[in-house]
Amino acid sequence: MRKRDGGMAIIETILFGLLLLVPLMWALGVLADLHRSALASSSAAREAGFDAAASIGLADATRAVDEAVTRAFADQGLDPSRARVDWSASSGLVRGGEVEVEVSYPVSVAQAPILGSLAGPSIWVNARHVARIDPFRSLE
Amino acid sequence: MDATLSIIILLVMVLGAVQVALTLYARNVVAAAAHEGARAAIELGRNPHDALVVARSSVERSAGGLVDRMRVTMSLDSTGARSVVQVRVTGLLNSPGPVPLKFPVSSVATSSRQKAPE
Repeated sequence: MRKRDGGMAIIETILFGLLLLVPLMWALGVLADLHRSALASSSAAREAGFDAAASIGLADATRAVDEAVTRAFADQGLDPSRARVDWSASSGLVRGGEVEVEVSYPVSVAQAPILGSLAGPSIWVNARHVARIDPFRSLE
Repeated sequence: MDATLSIIILLVMVLGAVQVALTLYARNVVAAAAHEGARAAIELGRNPHDALVVARSSVERSAGGLVDRMRVTMSLDSTGARSVVQVRVTGLLNSPGPVPLKFPVSSVATSSRQKAPE
């Protein structure tokens, strides 16, 4: 008896194609989120650096850094509370000094386009910015 | 016959994945362009009108080719000790993938600066 197998290749292609497509789309989603988080982190570090370097005191600078980071992540639709921010000012905020800001953000690997992100392993993206305090600024 | 159809189906799947990847990338580029526009506006704008011109020019240079019917709006809030500029970019994203589709895109970016002493 001769077995008729016409059309089987299409069914196999669709099935295996979908099987390959699901992890591919997941990977694309994670990569896009990584890119977005990297952009948000670098924006946050840069804005925080600019704002801290223009602040008149450490308390004011701390507030400016927090606000800048919150705004930068919120603009990209990311949760600012998950960001880790470290900043330091060499010898206070004197003229010609430097402010260094480092922002890190975890991107969850266990996420799907509709389901959202689940608890699980994360990839941390980091951004660092060094801003110079204006050597001729009028405020100390 | 089967091989031809299978190749076509696979090609559609691969091109679709490429399209999705490039569309997501383009969306992020527009968001970054909006941010650059906001930063340029707050640094270089001498007045609200000038700031809008600077923001629009910066966004168009960064992402003009990606967005059709692009609209750049700006709001300036100068209450308190800081000036805050918010730039919003809306339009139709020209997906740079193999299929010429357009997707609506909207991106917001905020930038602030300490007010200069009076």
